[in-house]
Amino acid sequence: MQHQEKNTYWNLLHDFLRRFIDLSEEEFIEWKPYFELRHVNKKKILVHKGEVEDYVNIVAQGLVRKYLKVKKGDVTLQIAPEGHMVHSEISFHLRKPSEVIVETIEPTWLISISYQNLQALYNRFPLAEKLGRLFATEMFIIKDKRFFEILKKSTREIFLDYMKTHPQMLQRVPQKYIASYLNIKPETFSRLKHLLKKKV
Amino acid sequence: MEKALGQYISKYADLTDEDLNLIRTRIVVREFSKRQLLIDAGEHEQYLNLLVKGVLRKYFYKGREEVITHLAKEGDLICASVSFFSGQPSQYAIEALEPVTVYSISRENLEELYGLSPRIARIARLVITNLYLDKERWEQDHIQYDIRQRFVNFVHNNADLIQRVPQKYIASYLNIKPETFSRLKHLLKKAPLLATLS
Repeated sequence: MQHQEKNTYWNLLHDFLRRFIDLSEEEFIEWKPYFELRHVNKKKILVHKGEVEDYVNIVAQGLVRKYLKVKKGDVTLQIAPEGHMVHSEISFHLRKPSEVIVETIEPTWLISISYQNLQALYNRFPLAEKLGRLFATEMFIIKDKRFFEILKKSTREIFLDYMKTHPQMLQRVPQKYIASYLNIKPETFSRLKHLLKKKV
Repeated sequence: MEKALGQYISKYADLTDEDLNLIRTRIVVREFSKRQLLIDAGEHEQYLNLLVKGVLRKYFYKGREEVITHLAKEGDLICASVSFFSGQPSQYAIEALEPVTVYSISRENLEELYGLSPRIARIARLVITNLYLDKERWEQDHIQYDIRQRFVNFVHNNADLIQRVPQKYIASYLNIKPETFSRLKHLLKKAPLLATLS
């Protein structure tokens, strides 16, 4: 990989962290060794069902999905593009076998920190505690929003809102994954897509 | 008060007596009568509450229908959390189903505590992480388990709530139609574990 690209990924991490805390260039240099860059081919499973998740990942480049395998097929829980965090959260934090599967859709670069390194970071830098707290708070608010959408919004609203906030996803992600993520039947999804075209 | 506080917090980590004292001096004890609202939709949440006595329901309005998202009992942490953390108006209301006592702390006081004790800051991170894992678990449960299984799981984990909370509220919480709920109850009467329902 080009030196240039690597730097871009590290800058992305620094920007990501700075969304939550005030982290100077000097501090960031001390934090960097706790993280690693990982390259994964497309359609590669990062966490199998039953494995304990070892990493928190931020997508630097590429696309990752998280899903559950149930009798009726796969149900997508998350589609993570660049700048988003993705991992098997419950497994990671509670050190339990994962129920969900985490798999790449495209060739992907991840910025990752292992469970062990994250604990070391918390122990060494009080600022990391603050990062962890603010990050968990943001994740909680995002999850609550999704929880609300599932219970409150109509299928049509869910579809239109997602397309508005994620305009590039239709080109990058197989339609069936998006339909599954939005909990919309594939045939309903196609019909809704047709409506969207007319508007544009 | 320290006892209830200590019991709840010890689920996450050990605090010193000094830590508990720092928390205690920043807490307000609040009491509510049955059917009283702790917060209504549209209001701003001022407090994070530890429920020490009684049962509460948290819900939002879907049109005119009330959808219950949390039935809280003693030892639970409850508030309109998104409003509390984000400062936005609450989409949820919280109502006492029994006479209720909560230990409440304001956001300002909580933020102050983070600076005073690294142990409290750590526990706050773990508590908030757990709040978010609960949401993740709720979604996974809805995908993995059918209505019947969710019903059985709930009864198994909350035998006491079944006796304390009106059935229509439990049905709403489980996202089950009242008629389906009655049918499930009838089916499960036979099981000794679920005898409390009949």
